[in-house]
Amino acid sequence: MASSVQSAHMEFAAWVGSDHLSDDPAVCRAAAVDGKAPALVVYPSTAEEVAGILRIAATAGLAVIPFRNRTQLDIGNPPERYDVGLSLKEMNNVWHYEPSDLTISVEPGMKLGDLQYLAAQDHLWLPLDPPGGVKASVGGMLATNATGPLGHGYGSPRDMVLGMKIATTEGKIIKTGGRVVKNVAGYDLAKLLLGSYGTLGVIVEANLKLYPLPRQRATYVLRAKSLGMARELRRRILATPLPFLRFLLVNPAGARWLRQGTPLAVESTKPEIWMEAGGSERVLERTQKSLEDLCREAGVSVETCGGAEAESVWNHASEFRHAVVEAQPGTVVVRASLPIAACEEFLSAAQQEAESAQAEFAALGSPGVGTVHAAISGFRDLGEAGSTIRRLRESAKQLGGALVVERCPVELKAALDVWGDPGDDFDLMRKIKAAWDPQRILAPGRMIGRI
Amino acid sequence: MNPPPLVRDLIRATSRQAVLWRKEDLLLYEYDALSALRQPEAVVFPTSTQEVVRVIRVAARHGLPVIPRGAGTGLSGGATVAERGIVVGFSRMNKMIEIDLENQRARVQPGVVNLDLSAAVSDAGYYFAPDPSSQKACTVGGNVAENSGGPHTLAYGVTTNHVLGLEVVLPDGNVVHTGAKFWDRPGYDLTGLLVGSEGTLGIVTEITVRLSRLPEAVNTLVAIYDRVSDATQTVAAITARGITPAALEMMDGFTLRAVEAATHAGYPTDSAAVLLIEVEGLREAVEEQTKTIEAVCREHSAREIRRARSAEERALLWKGRKNAFGALGRIAPNYYVQDGVIPRTRLPEMLEYTAEVEKKYGLRIGNIFHAGDGNLHPLIMFDARDPSQCDRVSRAAKDLMVKCVEMGGSITGEHGVGVEKNELMPLLFSDDDLAMLRRIKEVFNPSGLLNPGKVLPTGKICGELRVLASVGA
Ligand SMILES: Cc1cc2nc3c(=O)[nH]c(=O)nc-3n(C[C@H](O)[C@H](O)[C@H](O)COP(=O)(O)OP(=O)(O)OC[C@H]3O[C@@H](n4cnc5c(N)ncnc54)[C@H](O)[C@@H]3O)c2cc1C
Ligand SMILES: Cc1cc2nc3c(=O)[nH]c(=O)nc-3n(C[C@H](O)[C@H](O)[C@H](O)COP(=O)(O)OP(=O)(O)OC[C@H]3O[C@@H](n4cnc5c(N)ncnc54)[C@H](O)[C@@H]3O)c2cc1C
Repeated sequence: MASSVQSAHMEFAAWVGSDHLSDDPAVCRAAAVDGKAPALVVYPSTAEEVAGILRIAATAGLAVIPFRNRTQLDIGNPPERYDVGLSLKEMNNVWHYEPSDLTISVEPGMKLGDLQYLAAQDHLWLPLDPPGGVKASVGGMLATNATGPLGHGYGSPRDMVLGMKIATTEGKIIKTGGRVVKNVAGYDLAKLLLGSYGTLGVIVEANLKLYPLPRQRATYVLRAKSLGMARELRRRILATPLPFLRFLLVNPAGARWLRQGTPLAVESTKPEIWMEAGGSERVLERTQKSLEDLCREAGVSVETCGGAEAESVWNHASEFRHAVVEAQPGTVVVRASLPIAACEEFLSAAQQEAESAQAEFAALGSPGVGTVHAAISGFRDLGEAGSTIRRLRESAKQLGGALVVERCPVELKAALDVWGDPGDDFDLMRKIKAAWDPQRILAPGRMIGRI
Repeated sequence: MNPPPLVRDLIRATSRQAVLWRKEDLLLYEYDALSALRQPEAVVFPTSTQEVVRVIRVAARHGLPVIPRGAGTGLSGGATVAERGIVVGFSRMNKMIEIDLENQRARVQPGVVNLDLSAAVSDAGYYFAPDPSSQKACTVGGNVAENSGGPHTLAYGVTTNHVLGLEVVLPDGNVVHTGAKFWDRPGYDLTGLLVGSEGTLGIVTEITVRLSRLPEAVNTLVAIYDRVSDATQTVAAITARGITPAALEMMDGFTLRAVEAATHAGYPTDSAAVLLIEVEGLREAVEEQTKTIEAVCREHSAREIRRARSAEERALLWKGRKNAFGALGRIAPNYYVQDGVIPRTRLPEMLEYTAEVEKKYGLRIGNIFHAGDGNLHPLIMFDARDPSQCDRVSRAAKDLMVKCVEMGGSITGEHGVGVEKNELMPLLFSDDDLAMLRRIKEVFNPSGLLNPGKVLPTGKICGELRVLASVGA
């Protein structure tokens, strides 16, 4: 493959300019995915350039992986082939911003933080706090359909994307949807791209729906005495009309993680519920009062926190997935997607698995949505890590859910599909991949079933 | 008369009572709420997924297309027969299979009527959020196929935001399950792709939906205006104050008078326009938002602002709104409902343009629509017996669609493309865009057995809107 990369090198250079590509080994190593480095990294600055790169790569049969900040790149199966890194860091334009319409169109390289800064001038925001927080790129966030605790109140990128432009492997730029909040003309291709992890096309523009920023916010902490009590609290809270923006259930280690570096850093030994509400002063007063009434019956007190402390806690929640691995290499991070009512049970099963493997276990769950992120570290060996993952996956399945391994040592990935078993709709997914990327040049092997 | 072989096969696939085939029985199935096209060869009402599979195999053997049909309230001809075919009706697949309140989910068959689903869970404090104005009749299967909206989808999102999983029968008879009861199943989001595919990618036989909590408090306001432009300017001004009402609907004076004559809902008949605004949520939030909205309306010269004082008053106002198409149907032999979308800030301009189109073609156009979403429904009144009027209706409707696209909008916000607008798709999409849509269709429906002649342009009548002779109520 190296020789075809070399001959394509000239073509890429002619297309994007030789100052917009690099074969410096250090640069390529930094773009590695699961230990595999590309021979070349290209930095297009327009949608047309992206499309042209894909066309050249498809003709030469070179495998391409699009990325921006690379921090979600370790989600997925190891790439089968990887020749060209497609960096979107030069694509940061805002093409259209109409605050009164609550819509914005941006390029994929734009960072969430920059978008939020712009929108905040008009008291608007994109209510997403994905892993990586403000540093997440729009393209990466959409390609992974990434959410965080705000998913409880606002849903996922799936609920906020109005339309897209997509560069295809044929070198075309196609559009789907539009800039208006309602649109049913044609199949909703944006849904396919959301969560496709760069395997179908490259998102080169996204039209997003914005929301009014809550006027004020408050964060509440409930210390449950057990997971059983946490379940009871969750039931009662979800049965109220209180519109929380964020809702997290964390185990003691998860609680320590959230509280670190804040004056709130007391030793936790019990599961905790962290919630955020937003609105006017009266709405927040009412929320707190209703929450206190509800908790009094259960014998639980409500602590509140706000300002910088709360912000730091929620930032820790966003960073959790990355930082646990940085803090302790070899950490396994899994995401279980479950029916709402099964979160506490999964947490308890996972806790037991970790204990029997004598491993450390920290977990952040969104019980209102039905997802649990669990980080397990300190396995004796890879075999133990692998079998723990398998057992966790089994318990997620038994609870009616599924489990994705978001991060784990690469060595484990050979023997396990990080996405889990495909269902009876897999044949359709395979055919869609073949229809859109017949040469399999986009992140080959990375999606479910090693598509 | 002995049933022909096709009918005998369909009866074998289902049961004798499940198949209609006599001419007089088929008459009704030429229509949906847009218009009539052709008579199907037969209509069949399966009672299970297995029967749907057997029916589709019979159809394939006979080389006949299959056209899924819910309640036939569709407004783009999606359930009509474009060429030939067997209509598969879902009125006997209307079971709610599972209602799971703790998980906020329901699993239903496609023939369940939208409002029945909400009614089944309302005592427990839940409802199914998408609320098309046709919700007393239309089916959840039809809602999924059209990705339907409704007055309250402004705040809560359209059908696709509330559907998590589907069971689908493919044209080759395979049954697949997309999505799940839980959120974010790994793999491509085929559920999201199938919602809004208008019965051209698969036949939906089971739907898993999210149930939402009923709000604690609701306020319904009617703001009355003497000038249409004051009403349209109010719309963007409300969102600019950081408020997303649960619903924000507009009716113009012409429509109001028809609605009043039909429902006596209490709308003022001497005004130029009203906004029907609803705020929902926590009691405290609703009170505050109501005050802000009232202030914004007054700043924009609302003549009067009324609050519904009781649940009955509120229900009556909504009855007027939801039955408005029918009310207008009483004052002209035919009407044609359009469905375009524009950015909401362009509403004032768009309504002026609509008035120009009215004049240009000498037609009456009523305006009743989901203003908060910028989703317009111009209702063109006419007499189908007069061919020159039909021609003018068609040209007026196309002008309106072209304008929507020029403003950065769309040719359909919720009623779908169907057989009505497939030839208009090139207004929005390039050949490259359409080619990628075709590839998706080929993956699911390679033989074209399923609902042919819909959504994608056939190239037979170029760039024309299909308004048919017998459009109307
Ligand atoms: C502790 C910590 C430190 C961090 N440090 C930094 C930092 O120093 N600098 C920084 O910038 N960010 C940093 N991040 C955040 C990171 O940017 C986010 O995780 C983000 O959500 C992912 O976006 P991404 O751009 O990294 O996506 P990537 O990881 O680049 O991509 C994610 C996936 O999407 C695909 N993809 C990406 N773009 C597209 C597209 N346009 N079309 C199709 N597919 C696409 C990729 O192939 C991949 O499968 C950090 C996060 C944490 C927690
Ligand atoms: C008075 C009136 C008011 C309306 N108001 C609204 C409104 O506010 N918002 C809105 O969005 N729409 C509205 N509509 C349009 C219409 O009611 C919706 O599109 C509705 O969802 C159609 O449902 P149905 O059961 O009648 O479907 P049908 O008309 O029977 O079919 C519609 C489409 O769905 C397909 N289909 C049906 N069942 C299935 C299935 N099981 N599997 C696959 N495909 C299937 C059909 O093939 C067809 O293409 C209104 C219509 C009327 C007459």
